[in-house]
Formats: sequence, C-alpha cells, structure tokens
Amino acid sequence: MFSYIGTVIQNFFHLIIPGSIIGLILLFLCLCLKVVPVQLIDQGAGFLLSILTLLFVPMTVGIMKYPFLLSWQGLLLFAAVLVSTILTIGISGLSSQFFEKSAEKRKEDQKCNKRYTHSS
Amino acid sequence: MQQALYAFLMILLTVACFLMMAKLYARLAFSFLIPVLTSTFLIIVILVACKIPYESYMEGGKWINSLLGPAVVALAFPLYKQREFLKKHLVLIIGNVAIAGFVGMVSVALIAKSFHLDHSLSLSILPKSVTTPVAMAVADGLGGRASMAIVGVMIAGIFGTMLAPYIFRLFGVESSVGRGIALGSASHALGTSKAAEYNELAFSMASVSMTLNAIMSSLLGPIIAWLLLS
Repeated sequence: MFSYIGTVIQNFFHLIIPGSIIGLILLFLCLCLKVVPVQLIDQGAGFLLSILTLLFVPMTVGIMKYPFLLSWQGLLLFAAVLVSTILTIGISGLSSQFFEKSAEKRKEDQKCNKRYTHSS
Repeated sequence: MQQALYAFLMILLTVACFLMMAKLYARLAFSFLIPVLTSTFLIIVILVACKIPYESYMEGGKWINSLLGPAVVALAFPLYKQREFLKKHLVLIIGNVAIAGFVGMVSVALIAKSFHLDHSLSLSILPKSVTTPVAMAVADGLGGRASMAIVGVMIAGIFGTMLAPYIFRLFGVESSVGRGIALGSASHALGTSKAAEYNELAFSMASVSMTLNAIMSSLLGPIIAWLLLS
C-alpha cells in the first residue's frame, strides 16, 4: 500500500527517486510518529523481507536477454563492474569500521576526561 | 485460462528453483552458491532447454516482480527497530555512504574509460550500486540505456554479495556496521539480504545505506558523468 502511495507521489512530483524508496521513507516516518502501529505491519514486513532475494530472481533471469555479455565489450563491462564493486565494498567497509572505532574512542576519552575533572 | 495456468507454472518454477537452491546453500554454507545466482542459472538453463522466451517467462515472473516494490518499502521496518542507533550514528552513516557512493561511481567510470568502453555503456553502468528502479532512472537521465543499467546492477548485486565475505576477510572488516554499510551501498537490496545473515544491526545498516545511496547517487551521478565521462 505504501509502495502504491509512493509511486503516486513520484508521478505527481516527477521525481527521479522511485516510488518504493519514497514509500520506505514515508513508512519509516509514519512508524516513528506512531501514525501506523508496529503490529500492523510486523508480520507482513517480516514475510516480505524473508523472501526478498527470491523476488529478485525474475529480474536476474533477464540477463539471458543479453547474449552481448559474452562478447569482448560485455566481458570488459563485467570486469569493470566487478572490480569497482570489490573496491567499493572493501573501501567503504574499512572506512566505516575506522570511523566507528574512532568515534567510540572519542567517547571513551571524553569519559576519562570527565573522570579526571571530577577527581581534581 | 491457459495463460493464467502458464503464469502460475512459471511462478511455481521460480519458487521451486529458489527453495531448492536455498536448501543447498544452507547445507553447504558456501558463499559462492548464493541462491539468487544458482537459481537464476538453473532457470535460464531450463528456459533455454525448453525454448521458452524470456517474455513468456515474465508472464509469471512479473507477479513476483510486483512484490519487489512493497518489499523495499518493508525495509522501513528494520530501520524503525534500529532508530536509536541510527540517530546516534547519523553522521557516521551519511559520511560513509557518501564515500561508498563516490568510490563506486568514480571507480567504475575510470575503469570503463581505461577499457575504452562504449560511451553509452559506461553511462549505463555508472549507477551500478544503486537499487534497480533508481539505477534505471539515473542511467536514463544520463543518456545511458536502462536495460543495460539492470545488467550492471545485477552484476554488482550478485557478485558483490558473493565475494563480500572474502573481501571482508581480506581487508579485515569485522564490525557489523562496516559490513552493513559496505553491502548496502555497494550491492543494494541483494547485499542487504546478505547482511541479514550477519545480524540485525548489519541488516538495518545495509538498508539505510541502500536508501541513502539511492538518493545520493541520483544527485551525484550527473556530476560524475559530466566530470569523467564527457
């Protein structure tokens, strides 16, 4: 239902962001503002999320429409996407971990500082 | 009537293949065998063997496809459950998703350029790390081809998900936050469902990253395309 509302909004404002993403943001806001009770979507959302990867299969089967991928250009395209994806996962994973740790450290330092000021 | 039966059969085929492959995956626990990849492969083999064109497969496939939108909306649920954590780490998340989105697009643009890949192809695979509907819209807006964008997105999704455990081991990424952000912002919804295998925190990190990345990439895409591919 929220997906539908999202699509309507998307068409209305001619946004580049698709309806499902708008729907996601709307549903999140509604949950936070307690407009929609959590119990209402608990089961439905849980079910949909548990079969999320299954829902992708018809689209991935669509790759068969592109025998072009077996050509030289196709191979290059594949390699480009693959290398870039590996880089993205590696770098973003590392940087997130680094910033998370440094944020934790800063908090600990602050705690220590407080303790010192208290004791002095 | 016959058409409805046909569509039903195709849905059955998809679900059966998927369940079989999911069972295989659970038994072997080998990350190369993610069910999406294996069941896609199996279905393509079956379709080719029975000479069924993709269009008639989609008679059934489109019903499964139509659930994808609501499923993406349902990602709001894990987000809601982790809202306290999100609020506390908002800057961290936004910053890292921006890094991921930037690295993802710049690297694919540079590699495509060094490979002398066809211009419209390069534009089409630029939004490869974004969830499909957004990627199609972005590629279209840039002057690429939406159908090629899907191919790029699928490669990034399937192989990113498949290789992620090895990449994490190689780079020593151990935190759930790091893994979630990386998976969500590089391999969109497929990565997000992989993140669910780790824990709830990684899952919601991934779904936030996917959402944020979709929004940022639609803004960042035109700039990078203009800078690097024009």
